[in-house]
Amino acid sequence: MSLGAALLLVTIGFFAGGFGALAGVGGGIIITPLLAIYYGLPIHAAIGISLISVIATSTATSALYVERHITDVRLGMTLELATTAGALIAALVAHQVNRRTLAVMFACFLLYSAISMAKKAWGSRNQQVEPGIPDYTPHNYPLGLSAAFVAGGFSGLLGIGGGPIKVPVMFLFMKVPLRVATATSNFMIGVTAATSAYVYWGRGDIQVSIAAPLVAGVFAGSLLSARLSSKVRSAYVLLLLILVTTWLAAVMIYKLATGGF
Amino acid sequence: MKRETAATDHVLALTLKAGAYTAFAMILAGIVLQYWTAIGSKITYAGLIVLLATPVLRILVAAVQFMRERDLKYVLISVGVLGIMILAYVLGIQA
Repeated sequence: MSLGAALLLVTIGFFAGGFGALAGVGGGIIITPLLAIYYGLPIHAAIGISLISVIATSTATSALYVERHITDVRLGMTLELATTAGALIAALVAHQVNRRTLAVMFACFLLYSAISMAKKAWGSRNQQVEPGIPDYTPHNYPLGLSAAFVAGGFSGLLGIGGGPIKVPVMFLFMKVPLRVATATSNFMIGVTAATSAYVYWGRGDIQVSIAAPLVAGVFAGSLLSARLSSKVRSAYVLLLLILVTTWLAAVMIYKLATGGF
Repeated sequence: MKRETAATDHVLALTLKAGAYTAFAMILAGIVLQYWTAIGSKITYAGLIVLLATPVLRILVAAVQFMRERDLKYVLISVGVLGIMILAYVLGIQA
């Protein structure tokens, strides 16, 4: 690979990892479609590489939240039983799933993420930063575990973290404070993505020459954003990501309609 | 928060940091070195392996910490997660 091409991948990884971590969605939703649309990678290969970037984001950002006791490690560990089971099953069947079907599912997930980010941006327009974490006990484990299983399945199938599924469920139904839910999801996505990444890696779906520069960028972006997160207005980051995900969804739908993938 | 739980968080955060920085440094060094020497791509590959191993390591570390806290329930949960990950690895190799 030429130096220019490698630098471009580092840059893409930097922005995907950085903005993804700031908005709490993970870089996967940007990386998979970018690789599939603009690098012409088969969608399974794009998903495999995206899973590696999800592990990088999780590892880089969750250290800080765990250190500050925002992450609920016990809750995360319990839900990981379900996310890893879902991820394993999904990764095993992913190759039986038609490429175009995966692309359709991905486009739908992009639109869903754009809508959930829009809701988050609208909800946080006048919000002050929560001063501390209120006392809480997680409720409704059966529902939480079921949602985690589904989120894990999407992760293994589409190469995403699954935060937009887990965070609302933990917040709304398990009655976990939003910051704790986000941090715990961040912690979990690395373990979930690793489970399916082992299957993709074993199949030879992960091209090291593309994955390495991308992951280096994701690391740099995530490490930086974890430090900046308290200083950046998340509404602007969300707005930017809403535009990017909507654009990528539109391109994917156009490509699907014209017989691509 | 219990003192033991705070200690668990501290050890886990250290594990995550060590994994992240080691993998990042190796991948970056490998990418730069590959333009001069063949060993570069091997270092990059090893860095990706470190990255892939970090999630397993963090579950192992958590399991040991839960054992120290004498919290059997969470030791079992961690072992369960670890079992699923190992199964994925084994099935992945066969695939």
